[in-house]
Amino acid sequence: MNERVEVADNPAAGTSPSWRRHPKLDQWIAFWIVPGFFTLFGIVFVPLSFMMPPRSPGSSTPEIVGFMQSHNLLIACAILTLSFGLAPITNACYVMQVKRMSVSPVFRYTIIVGATTGAIVGMLFPMFCFGLGAFRTGYDPPILAMLFDFGYLAYIGSLGCFCIMWMAFGLAILLDRNNILPKWLGYYTVWQYLTELMAAPVWIATSGPFAWDGLMTFWFAMALYVPWQIIVYLCIYRAIKNQPVHELENAQFVVASSLPATRPTAHA
Amino acid sequence: MSTRGQRILLWTTPAAGALFAVACLLFPVFSPPLSPAMPPEEVAAFFRTNVTGILGVVILCNLIAGSLVPLFAVAAVQISRTATSSSVFTYAYIMCVGVSITAFILADYCWGVAAFRPERDPQLISLLNDMAWFFFIAPVGSIAVQNLCLALSIYLDARPDPIFPRWVAHFNIAIAALLIPGAFSILYKSGPLAWDGAVSFTLRLLVFATYIVVMFLVLLRIVNRQGSEREVLA
Repeated sequence: MNERVEVADNPAAGTSPSWRRHPKLDQWIAFWIVPGFFTLFGIVFVPLSFMMPPRSPGSSTPEIVGFMQSHNLLIACAILTLSFGLAPITNACYVMQVKRMSVSPVFRYTIIVGATTGAIVGMLFPMFCFGLGAFRTGYDPPILAMLFDFGYLAYIGSLGCFCIMWMAFGLAILLDRNNILPKWLGYYTVWQYLTELMAAPVWIATSGPFAWDGLMTFWFAMALYVPWQIIVYLCIYRAIKNQPVHELENAQFVVASSLPATRPTAHA
Repeated sequence: MSTRGQRILLWTTPAAGALFAVACLLFPVFSPPLSPAMPPEEVAAFFRTNVTGILGVVILCNLIAGSLVPLFAVAAVQISRTATSSSVFTYAYIMCVGVSITAFILADYCWGVAAFRPERDPQLISLLNDMAWFFFIAPVGSIAVQNLCLALSIYLDARPDPIFPRWVAHFNIAIAALLIPGAFSILYKSGPLAWDGAVSFTLRLLVFATYIVVMFLVLLRIVNRQGSEREVLA
């Protein structure tokens, strides 16, 4: 797919080592890091540590101790605390498209704050909870159980920071007059995020459909989230691909480009 | 293009503020604030008897945690309009907002985990409660710097017709000064500086509430004026 992009965007790219001069190389690097990042997450979460799908909040003490003290969990935490730095790249991809919209910078500032906060409370902190549990043997089981609860609750129950971030993203799409991203994606994003809020009861339920491993809060929420994430991603792909070269920030240095201007843009 | 986006986001503030006020008034841990001198057994007993109230507010705050971000984002946009040589204070301001919200959310989670299984060892409930109070009261550094960034931008604004009225700068510095004592709450278990004290708790929350109301009104006026100037946004 990468090859096709380059051919489509810059016909000269395939024949010479000038791929490094591709005018949108920065954006494509950032863009293609995203699937790599999600794949790595999948591998670490599922087959390496069995952190996902989530353990039951009603697990017995020996089960919790066995899970929390597994060496693979510690390795998983190390890989994740290393690679969670790629999450900002993902979000920066979205912010770059919002920046092109005819909307106030207030939207991208809101997204930046939401993304920064979310990476810590929804990723680093839960990983440290699991990591602290796996780091040292001999902790009392109640301490491990507390870290286990904290890890899963923070990981699955983090809502507010992502809520504000995706609301700003959706609203920016709807108010934008440059049609950078399709309007339906704006409505879809807002709707999608409202349905994610049903994960809120994970803070109450220790079993059943609304517990953190429940049918509604985990499986149904994932069934809605994954297609949405892929669709957003495909829309971002099209937005990068369709960005006219004269609009690029490096436009004055791009010589050998033949992309025509596709549409006029308004500025906020 | 108008300032519609800014106005839409700005007008989410009254709803957000009202929800935070409700959360504060309903939170059992705050009425009255738990004393730092309380022994772990009593803290655990308190969490056991108030599970519903605590979890309700924790969930509400989890949902609305970021809802004041738009207000601060509008402030950042207006800081970037002041005539200074660079955007350094805009970006510093935005980063401070991110850090402050992170601390607030972690406080919320600590209380949530404590109430999630209140039958936990009292030592651990007490630890989670202490951690929550630390996150909630102590990290005033980011709010203070945030206010100083805003104040400095106002003082240095070279425009003949400044974006912010000058008193807003004095106001922000005064607010920062009133919030700073909260940082010392981790040194005391009683008295005005303790986390349940008059300075670290009552004054701090009142000051913060006043700050949000005043900044909302100030920004509303500025954004409306910007709209009438039909100025091109950066």
